[in-house]
Amino acid sequence: MKVLRALRRHGVLGINRRNAEYTLRWNPRGAYPAVDDKLLTKDLCARAGIPTPQLLAVARQHFELRRLREALARLNSFVLKPARGAMGNGILVICDRDGARFRLAGGQRVTLDDLAYHAAGVISGLYALAGQADAAIVEERLLVHPDFAAIASEGVPDVRVIVYRGVPVMAMTRLPTLRAGGRANLHQGAVAAGIDLESGRTTHAILQSRPIRKHPDTGEALLGRAIPGFADVLGFALRAADETGLGYVGADLVVDARHGPVMLEMNARPGLMIQLANRAGLLPRLRAVDREIGPDRSVAERIALAVAIEERARVPA
Amino acid sequence: MNRVVAAVGFVLVALGLAVFGWKVVVYDLPVLPTDPEGLWRVELNVTVRGAGGRGSVRAPVPSTAPGQEVYDERSSADRLLFTLRTEDGGRTAVWRGAFDGVHDIAYGFRVRLAPVETPLPTEVGAPPASAQRYAGSTREFPMDAAEIAATLQVLALPPPSDVAGRLRSIYAMVAHEVATTAGGSDDALLALASHAGSERGKTALLVTLLRAAGVPARPVTGLELRGGAAPREIPWAEAWAGGAWVPLSPTGAFFATRPASLVALRAGSFASVEATGAEAVTYHYEALREHLRPEELAAMMVPANRVLRALSLYRLPVDTQAALRLLLALPLGALVVAIFRNLIGVPTFGTFMPVLIAFALRNVPIYVGLAMVVGVIIVGVFGRLVLERLRLLLVPRLAILLCLVVLGVALFALVGRRFDTRELFSGVLFPIVILTMLIERFSIAIAEEGMRNALVRAGYSLLVTVAVYPILRDPTAEYVMFSFPELTFCVMGMLVWIGGYTGYRLLDLVRFRSFADPSDDAERPV
Repeated sequence: MKVLRALRRHGVLGINRRNAEYTLRWNPRGAYPAVDDKLLTKDLCARAGIPTPQLLAVARQHFELRRLREALARLNSFVLKPARGAMGNGILVICDRDGARFRLAGGQRVTLDDLAYHAAGVISGLYALAGQADAAIVEERLLVHPDFAAIASEGVPDVRVIVYRGVPVMAMTRLPTLRAGGRANLHQGAVAAGIDLESGRTTHAILQSRPIRKHPDTGEALLGRAIPGFADVLGFALRAADETGLGYVGADLVVDARHGPVMLEMNARPGLMIQLANRAGLLPRLRAVDREIGPDRSVAERIALAVAIEERARVPA
Repeated sequence: MNRVVAAVGFVLVALGLAVFGWKVVVYDLPVLPTDPEGLWRVELNVTVRGAGGRGSVRAPVPSTAPGQEVYDERSSADRLLFTLRTEDGGRTAVWRGAFDGVHDIAYGFRVRLAPVETPLPTEVGAPPASAQRYAGSTREFPMDAAEIAATLQVLALPPPSDVAGRLRSIYAMVAHEVATTAGGSDDALLALASHAGSERGKTALLVTLLRAAGVPARPVTGLELRGGAAPREIPWAEAWAGGAWVPLSPTGAFFATRPASLVALRAGSFASVEATGAEAVTYHYEALREHLRPEELAAMMVPANRVLRALSLYRLPVDTQAALRLLLALPLGALVVAIFRNLIGVPTFGTFMPVLIAFALRNVPIYVGLAMVVGVIIVGVFGRLVLERLRLLLVPRLAILLCLVVLGVALFALVGRRFDTRELFSGVLFPIVILTMLIERFSIAIAEEGMRNALVRAGYSLLVTVAVYPILRDPTAEYVMFSFPELTFCVMGMLVWIGGYTGYRLLDLVRFRSFADPSDDAERPV
């Protein structure tokens, strides 16, 4: 009961309400493929002039695996992943190689055969959302921005922005840990930090739903860190969301050391952990957007609106 | 939940309940599986010996009456002529002919018994002619005898307007102040004089006293049916009061409510099997509890309404019925899954996988079922680990797992043979496919989410399975859903409600519980 009251006070969005009033209501089914399939997301971003990681190779059919092997044989570091993977499943990050052996982000060594086998599983739909046939794609490996180096172990942190009806309502960054095997997967023990939309600085952080102040591996302070290029992050998220036609969408971006913010993928059913990371509920912000959104607001106006809404939605402690 | 959703759900639930209520209230269909308690097959076997002379054997046989429904009567005559006679409102089976040597004759019937509850009268009315026949004095019931009058005097009966009170006084006197002895007198006056009598004697006394008190009364001959023992011939009395015959036990066993173990063979006189012209006769009754046969169940469960009759599933061929019975229980399983997923929020492998597993395992006890699931998963996971090295494509790999599971089940059958688990395997063909799918999902989950999360999810899946399992196994639930398929609308209505519930799931509360922890607020930098 105490928890229920606290959730109501903070306006925490629950799964049922998210599905019924936001994803089902605002996300037309026909718009899903563009975000479920990373190849289509790439096209979409290209149309909107939003940078994405460089695509190095694609295999849509099993017979294309041979060509994929040839492409991989020439590469030293890359990411192999399913075009329609869910929750980061099926992603292999290859950092390095010595001779025939590729080194994975977790330190494991694999051979080209292993990679081809994994790609075959991907094509069969092993990691796809609904088990349908899928494509294995190979992208350049993104590099950790120096500003993040102290608070990310092994992998690359990303920034998740929830965009509702064209307004960014909440953001967080997911920081890989050793425990999560260098992946930014919250369920496996990555750290999530909420981001203040105005300053682009982290305000609160959690590890497995519990508040935390220092990175578990590096011991560096997690709070008050500025996300490099955060204005671009918000702008890209918002423009990409416009392009998808989805009213409630999560955009995942990575701030790359060389390119700055790039769009990694988008999600039509973004998770709710972002509320824990920000220690703030989504509902007051979503409702404020419903009240205040006008037609044809510019990107800058909408970001300003988002900042104003966030400011007002603060729950007095 | 918005109003439209609430209203749609309400309409569906109301629709289902309305049809259900209509069938139950108006057409009196039993809500629960009919209790075969009151269902018996009774047989009277008579052996009669003669030396060539003509004669007859007469036996009282029951008629359909309040509390008993008699049907499916059969007889065997063994060279004699069998007739059923209706006399004095009761039926008599008569075998006649020349008794030559030993004749084995039999009369059998089936009967559905229910307790007879007679409301006690609150006012007196003049008894009709049919009851008046049982108001007078006879040799058997000498109501004018001085001893009877004296006894009534001593009893100090309530005024004639209080019929119930008069019945109670007389009943109490006969039941409790006259001892019941097996060899006691069959005569009313002798039983009264010696304060002891046979059941028949006490019944006669009861009838005599009632008649003397101005209440028409008659004896009834019947059988007491007992599971595991031969039926016993038993007499009791009936008093006409308030427009109905009120049953009264001479031994104090019942008053106004006749238990469902009694079947009345003859009302109005003491009757038993009698033979004339025979050298010797012996008889005995046998009774067996019976279950409803499908077609009888159908006859009972099809309501007497054209629309409802047309929609009754009991009119289908019996094997179709059996399949539909299972199918109609599935919505209940789906409802449970919806509750677990949307109200509680537990993650499972596949949406209806738990229902399918429960459905597949419904023929085996739950612990065997769960052991099978766990065993098959272990086989599959090990198999998958080995296959992983061979780098096979997905579909053949799954097919190999299927083969392994089939072999595993076969092995289990061999082992299980020692433990007499034959029926274990009647229903395991179908689940194998499902379990194979489960293995694949489980092993992917191990790879992707880690062993801990995969086990949690598998645990939740099994939890939901265990919750669904008893529903799919419960014959009552199956009966109710099959007899009242309109309840599926109620399930749909509830699903609409669950689907429209936008509040927190139980596990949302767990997941976001740190919002309730005030110390965390302080940690937040301003």
